[in-house]
Amino acid sequence: MALNVNYVIRETGSNLVRNVGLTVASILTVVVSLVLVGTSFLIRQGVENATVKWEGGIELIIFMEPKIRPEQLQAIEASLEADNSGVKDFEYVDQDRAYMEFKQLFKDAPEMVESVTPSILPPSFKVVPNDPDAGSVTALREQYRNDAGVKDVVSADDTIRTMKGMTGFISALVFFAAAVLAMTSAVLIFNTIRMAMFARRREIEVMKLVGATNWFIRVPFMIEGFIQGLVGSLLAVASLQVLNRIFTERLNQRGIELLSSFAVANGDVTTISIALLIGGTVIGMVFSAVAASLYLDV
Amino acid sequence: MIKLENVTKVYRGDVVALKDATCDIQKGEFVFLVGPSGSGKSTLIRLLNKQEGPQAGRIFVAGKDIAELSKWKVPFLRRNIGCVFQDNKLLSNKTVYENVAFALEVIGRPRHVVKTQVPAILELVGLAKKHRNYPEELSGGEQQRVSIARAFVNRPLILLADEPTGNLDPATSVGIMRLLDRINRTGTTVIMATHDRTIVDTMRRRVVELDRGTIIRDQVRGVYE
Repeated sequence: MALNVNYVIRETGSNLVRNVGLTVASILTVVVSLVLVGTSFLIRQGVENATVKWEGGIELIIFMEPKIRPEQLQAIEASLEADNSGVKDFEYVDQDRAYMEFKQLFKDAPEMVESVTPSILPPSFKVVPNDPDAGSVTALREQYRNDAGVKDVVSADDTIRTMKGMTGFISALVFFAAAVLAMTSAVLIFNTIRMAMFARRREIEVMKLVGATNWFIRVPFMIEGFIQGLVGSLLAVASLQVLNRIFTERLNQRGIELLSSFAVANGDVTTISIALLIGGTVIGMVFSAVAASLYLDV
Repeated sequence: MIKLENVTKVYRGDVVALKDATCDIQKGEFVFLVGPSGSGKSTLIRLLNKQEGPQAGRIFVAGKDIAELSKWKVPFLRRNIGCVFQDNKLLSNKTVYENVAFALEVIGRPRHVVKTQVPAILELVGLAKKHRNYPEELSGGEQQRVSIARAFVNRPLILLADEPTGNLDPATSVGIMRLLDRINRTGTTVIMATHDRTIVDTMRRRVVELDRGTIIRDQVRGVYE
């Protein structure tokens, strides 16, 4: 069957124009739902990246009393040095360096920095355990917690676990909303096509009577749905790129090392964008095809 | 050309539209279907271009059993069967020319065919001068001529007409019948359902009379009653 290209372009165009309101509504729903789908994937990717960084060297930080006596400090250092089975590496952070880090961390809040002097900050040992498993990290923490001169021992695994749980929950929530919206956009596209077919039912009736094939009748409607899906997903990808850029910029501005590990690499964003484009256009095509087939019997 | 063998069509609620109808129509014949409303004339026409299927019996069009026709082939059957209706089914947003051209465009005919065929057929039905008008700017008779032009522009083997003069006054009807007669003389088989006694009695063609779904009369040079 020779499909007349002019005919298809003309019909599709007039359908899109005739139903501007519905077309815009379905495109916007596609945009919103795909942005949400993309966001939830970006959140997941970010958490993944961050945890990989952390798990590469789960750190145990032993905070000492600011006024710790040198012999107590040496005792702890010796004990860390001796513990070859549990401790892979460790580093001493004295009060001056702690102050530098503090200034870096709170550079946006000068009043905080002013209220602090190096002498009140606790010196600390940053410890890289041999076995990053949560159990052995906890064991190490218990070991040093009650030593003389130790103020507190914190391990990153607590932070990570809370963070993972929180972001996991948030991204599940976002993903759920996105799934609902994706269904909504499918139904909206379906409905737009149905309305378009209803508006043109007399033409379709004549087409069937003079012997136009079902595909010939269907194709302009399917292209209409395809265009809605395509435009929607293009807009969604564009807004996702912008959102990610803003997010990454904010993270870098803060200069917080921990959070910047959440930044998602451009490659990941591209993968997600391609997935969204494919998803959006497939939704548009499939649901308009279903609508076109269901309502072709005039 | 057309052969019905014991065709029965029952609608939901046990409405018998056709009962055991058998009929053989040769190529180039002109056949009137007569009978009161609800006697099964329109059903017969809808069965012939497979808008519906029968419950029992076989229908042959151009030697092929159309009941066995797979769904995707139905459009190709319809390209050989032109249809004219009482309410001409013209598209009000298209001009006369566009309405007729539409029938060729949607079956994928190339543009040069459309450009030569449409003016020729509009000349035949006597509307060459009105090709730029919209249907609502035409009289009822002219609208029906456009509808016939659209049905015939693809030169089908068979032309089905379901009360084409139903909405027209007698004088206009005569014009339409002259046109259908001319089309019939080109070798096209014409089947026309009608209530119009004068037309049937004047034309003296084959008459098939239906009553409550049964063919009760099949006369070669028949009259209305």
